[in-house]
Amino acid sequence: MGVKRKLPYIILLSSPITIVSVMFLSVLSGSTVIHPVDVIEAFLSFDSDNVTHTIIMTSRVPRAVGAMLIGALLAMSGALMQGMTRNYLASPSIMGVSDGAAFVITLSVIFLPALTSLQMVMLSLVGSAIGTGVVFGIASLVRNGLSPVKMAIIGTIIGTFFSSVSAALATYFQVSQTMSFWYNARIHQMSPDLLWFTIPFAIVGILLALALANSVTILSLGEETAVGLGQRKGLIKALTMFSVVIMTGISVALIGKVGFVGLIVPHITRFFTGTDYRWVIPCSAVIGGIFLTLSDSLSLYINYPFETPIGVVTAMIGVPFFLYLIKTRGVGSHR
Amino acid sequence: MFVGGIGLILFFYISLSAGIYDVSLQQLIDAFLRRNVSENIDLVIFHFRLPRVILAGFVGLGLGIAGAVLQGITKNGLADPGILGINSGAGAAIVVFMFFFQGHVSSTSWLFTLTMPIYGLVGGLTAALLIYFISWEQGRLDPQRLLLTGIAAGAGFGAFTIFISLKMKAQDFEMATVWLSGSIYSANWLFVLAVIPWFLICVPVIMRRTYMLDLFRMSEESLISIGVSVEKEKSILLLSSIGLISACVSVAGSISFVGLMAPHMARLIVGNEHKNIVPVCGLIGMLLVIGSDFIARSVVAPAEIPVGIIIAIIGVPYFVYLLFKVRM
Repeated sequence: MGVKRKLPYIILLSSPITIVSVMFLSVLSGSTVIHPVDVIEAFLSFDSDNVTHTIIMTSRVPRAVGAMLIGALLAMSGALMQGMTRNYLASPSIMGVSDGAAFVITLSVIFLPALTSLQMVMLSLVGSAIGTGVVFGIASLVRNGLSPVKMAIIGTIIGTFFSSVSAALATYFQVSQTMSFWYNARIHQMSPDLLWFTIPFAIVGILLALALANSVTILSLGEETAVGLGQRKGLIKALTMFSVVIMTGISVALIGKVGFVGLIVPHITRFFTGTDYRWVIPCSAVIGGIFLTLSDSLSLYINYPFETPIGVVTAMIGVPFFLYLIKTRGVGSHR
Repeated sequence: MFVGGIGLILFFYISLSAGIYDVSLQQLIDAFLRRNVSENIDLVIFHFRLPRVILAGFVGLGLGIAGAVLQGITKNGLADPGILGINSGAGAAIVVFMFFFQGHVSSTSWLFTLTMPIYGLVGGLTAALLIYFISWEQGRLDPQRLLLTGIAAGAGFGAFTIFISLKMKAQDFEMATVWLSGSIYSANWLFVLAVIPWFLICVPVIMRRTYMLDLFRMSEESLISIGVSVEKEKSILLLSSIGLISACVSVAGSISFVGLMAPHMARLIVGNEHKNIVPVCGLIGMLLVIGSDFIARSVVAPAEIPVGIIIAIIGVPYFVYLLFKVRM
């Protein structure tokens, strides 16, 4: 117990070192071999004529930062949702968030082709909100809709619907190729500008998530307890969903659809930290960031010299884990 | 049944006659009776449209029947070959097969086309066994767990399929992706020939056991007490429906929702006896796929939307409606 209680501290305190080393590893990985010394040089004395430096600063570093950020955001979203709904299967990819975002992006590519990246990010957020709203709305109207299984099914089906309509529209208006770039993880072309745009959103989402952590812990204990403790349930839930929409929305805007991070990382985290969401949420962010960055590096080597879409890598790790969860936890509720 | 038959003939006629190259009823009848033979019309009708419509019909028939059987066995109104991940299992196996024979594969080769359903069967069975194993809990099949496992297995096989297809050569990759999205695009007579044996074997096996599906509504204990070897019967039914699904997947890729919708519609029309439900399901499936395939190729002609997408767009609202109505 003594060690277990210290684990969250260990995770958080060691996080600067682990995060930097994982990102360093990620910067070194790729089809062009890069020497660690070059990376340090690129930071300390950047030389714009040096090709290696340019690759590091315009491609490798944004990619590593993006993977770290998105992993953290997705994992926090998953943790918030699992705590709030007391549903151990709740996660961004299951809630139709990314399919909603992709749907709106398809519409905008077709009807508003002259959009800037920033506007695309904003629309992606709107799309995430729509996707989440539809899935959550149906789930709360259907009997038992918020139970793990029903919600997973509703989310998957609504996701299928959004992606099918998007695919049909994309075919009809002949933008399939553009869209296929969008849907499938575009982590290899992470643009530094876009990354900058999204940081304010990320900060709002993260601060909100941290601020809500205590309330989510209370929600995760059950509705009666929450009401008994005088919690304003509706407001807390609305703010939580808002935070989820922002965090997932910008993740989708940056790299497209990546599943399973938000599902499995909170479970791994709770294994270390227990169920107090004041610990679960920040530790999820650390573990999620590291997880996605490592998956990204792995994606470079699985089918060397070709990159494997990162969604494939996370699914290959995530599916066995998902099946394990179903096998061991059955279909009951959270914890 | 009668109305369905008329509907089928009507759909059949529209699918054959309408398109970029319009064929009148007169020309159609002439072509079938071999009067005033015109090469162009022959080409359009016999080479392109007829095999496609027939194949769409077979796919609908197979998926509809398989859906009825799966819902009967699992006692779950939301079961469907696509949602349960059996489609993706069969698909993954076929892509692996394409991968190992890359370069030697062409959609017109006899050996390749005729053996494809067998690989599909292997994949479909693997998926079904995996799902069955994981959902099996304390001697019973938990319907909720079954659906969840199916969704997960579907995602896993899907990821694996993408992974394999990325390793393929460009030409094979193209073929694999067109085919994966659920399309009857490349239909030819060989495909029709490849699926017929599976239907000749599996459909009669299922039809002879429809009464079993009615019996499955009773509790396991009472079934055993009246002398039914439950597990054996379930396995035969499951195997036959996976056979049908694999054959369909091998020619048309992954098409979801047909097996989900057809049984509910069938129950509305003919009541609760599987003797009636199963054939009506097949008929509804045929109507759905032939109709959707026609939409798929006419909306954006000369381009095509994969038929699976059209069916999903029709199927999802129906599914949501079912969620509100059906108990699980």
